[in-house]
Amino acid sequence: MDFELNEQQRAIVEAAEVLLARHAGAARAVKLDAEREADSALEAALDEAGFLDVALGDETGFLEAALVTEAVARAGGCIPIGARALVAPGLLGRGVSGPVAVASAAIAGPVRFAAEARTLLLDTGEEARIFALESGDAQRVRSNFMFPMGRLQVDAGRGEALGPGSGERLRAWWRTAVAAEAVGAMRAALDVTVAYVKRRRQFGRAIGSFQAVQHRLAHCAVRVEAARWLVYETAYDGAPAAAAAATAAYVADAAEKVHAETHQLTGAMGFTREHDLHVWSMRLQALRLEAGGLASHRIAAARERWA
Amino acid sequence: MEFGWSDEDRGFRQELAEFLAENLPDDWEERSKDGPGSDVQARFSREFCPKLAERGWLTQNWPREYGGAAASAWRHIILGEEMWRVGEPRSSQYMNVNWVGPTIMRYGTEEQQREHLPPIARGEAFWCQGFSEPEAGSDLVSLRTQARRDGEHYVVNGSKIWTSYVNHAQHCFLVVRTDPESKRHKGISVLLCPMDLPGIEVREIPSVVGERYFFEVFFTDVEVPVACRLGPENEGWDVVTYSLAYERVGAARYARAALTLDELARRAEERGLLDDPRILEKLGEARALCEASRLLTYRVIDLRERGLPPSADTNVARVAGTTAELAVANLALELFGPEALEYGHFAESHFRLAMTAGVAVGTTEVNLNLVASRFLDLPRE
Repeated sequence: MDFELNEQQRAIVEAAEVLLARHAGAARAVKLDAEREADSALEAALDEAGFLDVALGDETGFLEAALVTEAVARAGGCIPIGARALVAPGLLGRGVSGPVAVASAAIAGPVRFAAEARTLLLDTGEEARIFALESGDAQRVRSNFMFPMGRLQVDAGRGEALGPGSGERLRAWWRTAVAAEAVGAMRAALDVTVAYVKRRRQFGRAIGSFQAVQHRLAHCAVRVEAARWLVYETAYDGAPAAAAAATAAYVADAAEKVHAETHQLTGAMGFTREHDLHVWSMRLQALRLEAGGLASHRIAAARERWA
Repeated sequence: MEFGWSDEDRGFRQELAEFLAENLPDDWEERSKDGPGSDVQARFSREFCPKLAERGWLTQNWPREYGGAAASAWRHIILGEEMWRVGEPRSSQYMNVNWVGPTIMRYGTEEQQREHLPPIARGEAFWCQGFSEPEAGSDLVSLRTQARRDGEHYVVNGSKIWTSYVNHAQHCFLVVRTDPESKRHKGISVLLCPMDLPGIEVREIPSVVGERYFFEVFFTDVEVPVACRLGPENEGWDVVTYSLAYERVGAARYARAALTLDELARRAEERGLLDDPRILEKLGEARALCEASRLLTYRVIDLRERGLPPSADTNVARVAGTTAELAVANLALELFGPEALEYGHFAESHFRLAMTAGVAVGTTEVNLNLVASRFLDLPRE
């Protein structure tokens, strides 16, 4: 047990943050959202610098990949970071080039980055399948949740089956990856909200000095801290199904609450495009619905442990 | 950053499990239904704790000079987890090891250390905590119990309330006001007060938490030797804060919640309830909360192991621990329905002891205040 980043981990996170400060950020996320595009330049820059391959590095692993995923999400990066940095290497044991989308045959509705992805990892139950996507396989749809979304139109039989048990492996890594992204988004949403309540004055004082406000943010801080460590431990352990489901369950619930509280406490300003909060808060809603959502994570957490 | 236990730590857990299997009586579930403070459990700890001490486990994380083995704080939390899992057979003695001892090590004179630490390390000491007063609960610094200096004694007058474990305590870790003119944090001192002094009267406060759980302690002209004062006169608040930081995550109560949850799931399965997705959902929710509590506690242990001063991470962990414990307790009642209404039922016992989680050792609200001011750096009024 050691909860501090070691030298190498710190170096990875710091280098990622330097790159992200140049290539990501809330303003860029807002601009890309208006154009409904993923950030191919950011993905290329991270790829070139090796950040997307740390999961299978000689001296790095899935914990480091989770740290990178969190950092990218925290910086508002608009790329399928969890799918590329965690899910693909976790499921396939190798990296893939280009954007990756993850979906389930049992879940209807738009899929993050479906129209941009070159690779699709599909959960079909017992097995997972991998697809090389072509143009026309997904149709872009408009979404207010700050990610490019598309509807997949692929024949589930087309891809390559990855063998018995691969469905469970995919679900575990998917849950872990979505949770890692949500941790980054929650941290950023909480940070901008804390800054806001310190600055915003009403009744002659900073609203952040009211206990009614403080307790709500303190609860959020507890949730975000717990979510963070859960994700790190789960990634470190290689996403065991039970831990991944419990982590995803905790994080999906936390994401819902952090969304609600940060919006409540930033008032009308938090709804505007001018304020950064929506970049992360709206993404939190998309993330908490992904990979089956809260009820499915909870049921899986119980089944994996006891049934 | 890395997770998981070393082989040595896993081995220790295994040894502990075997030790417990050997040393807990068959009727332990029945005996432990009133919680660690009950007379039955205190009596049991008189034979149990010396056995732990004999094996070097009771105070293993203490420095060698105080009868420990300088083992890591991780070893200590493993011990705490395994003990709370089975309802804390150390009775109130867990407090001695968690925070009474460490605070005496930090602030005690050589003589006080010689007097108090060896009995704790041998598993023979019983303490209670004299903090809360009728008018000083969450606002602990408004305490009024007065200790007037008179030569080589303090003359103590006042009362403490909600005190647990008084029924078998030999000493009270007593917080008093030594400067009658003082207000708030100034003028407070800590006394290591023997409980057999004349003028101390103890009254049980009947409660729904269980028999012999809460007590009120009255001090009338109690003469406590000045040599019993822990730390500097009038600057005892630092001592109190130090002890609280150790107390808040000392007890691995989440381990009991997690074990209770496992047991709930086992019994739910017996009744064919694990086919019901609604039940699975609730079990999964509680499981996630227990895991969150475990990791946040580990975070605090990690900071302690690094020798860092207590931080607001302690309060973060406490809030999460309380949430987990209450969630499991409520689920226990719900799963068993009216069956759980009988006193001593598995679910009822857990619920009863979990009920105090958000109030004991500082309310959730006080913990949230500290998270807001120290963790998020939010402004005070």
